[in-house]
Amino acid sequence: MPAVETEVEIVNKYGLHARPAVLLVEAANRFGCKIEISNSSLSVDAKSIMSVMRLAAGKGTVLKIVAYGEDAEQAVREIVKLFADGFGEE
Amino acid sequence: MKLSDIIVADAIVPKLASRTRDEAITELVEALAEAGAISRAKVKDITKAILAREAQATTGIGKGVALPHVKLEGIKKPIGTIGCSGEGIDFNSLDSKPVYSVILLLSNPKNPDEHLQAMETIFKHVQRDIFRKFLRQSETSQAVIELIREADEIG
Amino acid sequence: MKIKKGIGVSPGVAIAPAVVLDIEEFDIPRRQVPSDMGQVEMRRLRKAVEVSRKELADLRERTAERVGKEVASIFDFHRGLLGDKELMGKFQDAVLQGHATAEYAVATVLRAYAKELQSMPAYLADRTKDIYDVEKRLLRNLLGEKRESLAHLTRDVNVLAHDLTPSQTAGIDRGHVRGLAMDAGGRTSHTAIVARALGIPAVVGLNDLTAEVGGGDVVIIDGDRGVVVVEPDTRTIREYKRFAEQQVELVHELEALRDLPAITLDGHEVTLLGNIEFPDEVGTVLDQGGQGIGLYRTEFLYLGGQKEEPGEDDQYRAYREVIDRCAGRPVVIRTLDLGADKYTQARARTPERNPFLGLRSIRFCLQNLPMFRRQIRAILRAGTAGPLSVMFPLITSILELRQAKSIVRDVAEDLEEEQIEHRADVPMGIMVETPSAALQGDALARESDFFSLGTNDLIQYTLAVDRGNERVATMFTAAHPAVLRLIKDVIRAGQRHGVPVSLCGEMAGDPQFTMLLLGLGLRVFSCTPLSIPRVKQVVRSVTVQDCTRLARKVMGFDSDREVLTCLALELRRALPGSLAD
Repeated sequence: MPAVETEVEIVNKYGLHARPAVLLVEAANRFGCKIEISNSSLSVDAKSIMSVMRLAAGKGTVLKIVAYGEDAEQAVREIVKLFADGFGEE
Repeated sequence: MKLSDIIVADAIVPKLASRTRDEAITELVEALAEAGAISRAKVKDITKAILAREAQATTGIGKGVALPHVKLEGIKKPIGTIGCSGEGIDFNSLDSKPVYSVILLLSNPKNPDEHLQAMETIFKHVQRDIFRKFLRQSETSQAVIELIREADEIG
Repeated sequence: MKIKKGIGVSPGVAIAPAVVLDIEEFDIPRRQVPSDMGQVEMRRLRKAVEVSRKELADLRERTAERVGKEVASIFDFHRGLLGDKELMGKFQDAVLQGHATAEYAVATVLRAYAKELQSMPAYLADRTKDIYDVEKRLLRNLLGEKRESLAHLTRDVNVLAHDLTPSQTAGIDRGHVRGLAMDAGGRTSHTAIVARALGIPAVVGLNDLTAEVGGGDVVIIDGDRGVVVVEPDTRTIREYKRFAEQQVELVHELEALRDLPAITLDGHEVTLLGNIEFPDEVGTVLDQGGQGIGLYRTEFLYLGGQKEEPGEDDQYRAYREVIDRCAGRPVVIRTLDLGADKYTQARARTPERNPFLGLRSIRFCLQNLPMFRRQIRAILRAGTAGPLSVMFPLITSILELRQAKSIVRDVAEDLEEEQIEHRADVPMGIMVETPSAALQGDALARESDFFSLGTNDLIQYTLAVDRGNERVATMFTAAHPAVLRLIKDVIRAGQRHGVPVSLCGEMAGDPQFTMLLLGLGLRVFSCTPLSIPRVKQVVRSVTVQDCTRLARKVMGFDSDREVLTCLALELRRALPGSLAD
């Protein structure tokens, strides 16, 4: 199965702090596919909150999302939406 | 406990006529009787008890304040009054200076905790420079009553 | 084997397995499990994780209802963490590969993660406390009722913790605790004082000791050199055992001093008293040659038990016991000096931001007169049994002193009326432990029967250094010229008004300062009992004349370093050999 790739930008004021990280990880865990998120130096498993926090991604950071598996497309779409909505923060 | 719970408003003497310690204390006990806070019959005994205690150890704690007090049977809850003297009274104070404000307190010996709470309240306010200053400047009962109310509000 | 360096605050050597206390007094039990127990441990761990996740889900619901969704969302974070595959993977490695117990795995993995977070930007580093929270929850679910309490130990141990609160030290089972080692604290921290009083070795200021030691690890606590050795090899153990034997010999030397008088070479008499926290320490004071009690810290009556406040009779019994054991020797009881501690903080409706400068000690007492009165009653009643004085701590103004005295008089009157036997005219003195009191020495001397210099707090307030803060602990020193000047002023004020002055801070038991204090005019020292012989030895080896000359010289110095160097030199000159260190 081909990988689904895309890029997202963090629009939240405080970046990927605990609350958005939790939302992201919960969303990722709803899907069966493998999902990776990376910044310029690190690539981590989107289903692990510890890993996602390690990205220490602040506002304006651009992250790459790659998903492999059956529901990869759906997964990526949902995640992109989360980021675009700013995770529901102002 | 608040000051206004303790001080009998009608017994406040904003301008003490007495010039000596014993007379001032007598004047304040009489004021309490006039206000109906204690029975006339008790005035002599109460005055005697306070003076006896005062003779043992001065309650002139300094900074122009004296806190004569005594515990007596028949007193239901802590009550007291305030007397102000413009010229100052010799109370043999610990700082050897005259007393301008006398705060008299009567308590029930069976309720030492209440007595102590009353003392606590009085101490707390008397510690404040501003309270002592305003008390000394008070010319009327009303002024003293207002001062007490304000002090209670500040806590 | 790991060697950690800290500050040695109580001499001696203790070799024993460690009991490691978590912030909530969790004892993390043995570190290792035999390899066939690994699966059992993992099952325990997985169950604890499940239970914790359920707890957090419930907590989240309740909080969302009562407070709001935003606040409740933090529990999602906790749950998310516990559900993280990476975390479980690490737990599994620690248990199955590292043979760790479930508790040890939890502690090490989570703390390592917390450490990782700390180096990240603030909005992530803030979550460190959440990691500890999750750790606590997991441990609680793992350990259940099996917490080992400090008060009921079954074997000899060394106790390690981040810090011990006075309540915890009050509860220590003194039969089994061989030594103490703390991450936090400085030379005069509470743990240091208690360790010296109990005569057990202690090292503080070790920073992250508790993160690296597991329950059951053998540790050596070397209170003389300020070193803790974790899991020492056999050679190190042998060396330390030899060193411990040498120390015992030294102690015998000092015992010989016990019955000799504390008189200087030129005939000046010095009074050496002891500081105690519990009545049964009187024995130690007298054994060490103390002539009475210069400071009975009454706080432990309020901290040791489960009740809110010790009753008047409980207190009476304790005070009476001390006076009886002293059999005619003087006893000075200090009124309640609690504050900046669990007792008043827990009871405060809104916790103070700066408890050290807040409603503590005598201030707390004067705003809680019924409680203060109970203590005074017990003291006055006990005063019929022997010589007794009352001392008020933290006096900062003359009005405060007058209030306290008038309460004592009031209480005496009550007792008179109730026809209960009591000491009617007990001498009342003050602890001089704030700059304001020290600078008002003359005024206070006129209304006090005696002074006692509380140098521990005096140094703290004068130098503006928190004695419990390991980051600035080295700045805390009695040798600072500002402190010395205040001490000198207070002694002089006492002399001018015929008011006896004693010194009851840790400085009194430090042989380095004895000559200087003698030279400044001090003749009464009250210190921790085990220090009495050392101080006596100095007293017996010097002349007041030399001490006075030394004091004049030292008072001209600008820095604590100069002071300490000079004093160390003089001490070595006066006492070549064993005691100079």
